[in-house]
Amino acid sequence: MRISVMSQMQRSFSIDLPSLIPLQLPSRRYTHLWYVIPDEVKSTSLLKRYSQLLSQTEKDGVDQMRGDELKKNALLARTLVRTTVARYQTNKAFDPRSLMFKKNVYGKPEVDWQNCNNQPLHFNISHTDSLIACGVTVHAPVGIDVEDKERKIKHDVLAFAKRFYSADEVNFLATIRDPEAQRKEFIKLWTLKEAYVKALGKGFSAAPFNTFTIQSIPGTEEGYSLCKTSEVTADPLEETKKCNGEWKFALLELADSHYAAVCIEDDQANEGAPMRVIVRKTIPFVEDQLISERIFL
Amino acid sequence: MASLSATSLSFKAPSIQSTRISQSISFGRFQSSKSLRLQISCAAKPETVQKVSDIVKEQLALSADTALTAESKFSALGADSLDTVEIVMALEEKFNISVEEADAQNITTIQEAADLIEDLVQKKPAA
Repeated sequence: MRISVMSQMQRSFSIDLPSLIPLQLPSRRYTHLWYVIPDEVKSTSLLKRYSQLLSQTEKDGVDQMRGDELKKNALLARTLVRTTVARYQTNKAFDPRSLMFKKNVYGKPEVDWQNCNNQPLHFNISHTDSLIACGVTVHAPVGIDVEDKERKIKHDVLAFAKRFYSADEVNFLATIRDPEAQRKEFIKLWTLKEAYVKALGKGFSAAPFNTFTIQSIPGTEEGYSLCKTSEVTADPLEETKKCNGEWKFALLELADSHYAAVCIEDDQANEGAPMRVIVRKTIPFVEDQLISERIFL
Repeated sequence: MASLSATSLSFKAPSIQSTRISQSISFGRFQSSKSLRLQISCAAKPETVQKVSDIVKEQLALSADTALTAESKFSALGADSLDTVEIVMALEEKFNISVEEADAQNITTIQEAADLIEDLVQKKPAA
């Protein structure tokens, strides 16, 4: 389903930006995942209009980036966040420029709703050179991480894993003979672990990578669960693992080129219910495309 | 190099460092804690900064003529979290040190990486 607003944009040229097609907030257990491919955004006039959406702080952040490509991607990232959050506002004339952002005490970016408390919408953003993604949920903190499937690791994958991942994850990776397959599983695990830390929102030191394991749920193709290793005990053989269902994971592929991991905190009331991800590709103000709706058990 | 012993401070600093330290002392009491900090942890040697820059350039695949300074921020060069971790691993290998994860996360510039490296190298027990 393609929705084009190109005609709207051509009509209202300089000052008024066209409206984004408004959307209902996701239901609980749904994540809306939006992505933009920087290579597909070429128009300098469009990029100029995007820059008009940004706050001064954001513009300064874009200017700090070294090189045109990095500047463009930083601009697109902020544009994606602003326009995505703006879509869910009930006021149809909602201006993405009016959004304000802040960081929580640990540095995780959030919307600053000013005096409107108890807003249910959560977002998280992730970007690579070639794809930028933004996830949106309600009533549940969310973490997103995307990675190029072909990303090469400069170090030996197992040496890297031994240094940073949990023992169980190292054992899992060690069973994979083919180096290419091993690298891919390493990258998938990286995105899942990053997504969890970002969903947690307390900074990396709150959840060092080697203190938790993410593993496939047996019997499912794409189900993953989280197990935390307990605090150090006197007897290493007694190390217990607490595998809980508090955090839900989804791993998908976007645009055939990237892995994307989504992690949300489970809504205890709906325990056991599956997680759904609706994926849309966008060029803000130009084109939105529904890509898929997936269920993750 | 400035050295700190239990009872005295002595300076045999190269000209640049001694100028910096004497300037901060002359600005009065608000600078005194800052000058004390400068005395205890000297900024990293230029060679260390250069080695860190080389590793960063390699990890981020920057062109050889990319101008990097000590103040260059990893994020501004396009490093994501995976890049930062790889940079830390490369630094560990190059300098034969071990970086705590909490310290690794706090490195945001080339200067900070170089300072941490020299701090860790200094703390290593003599072979």
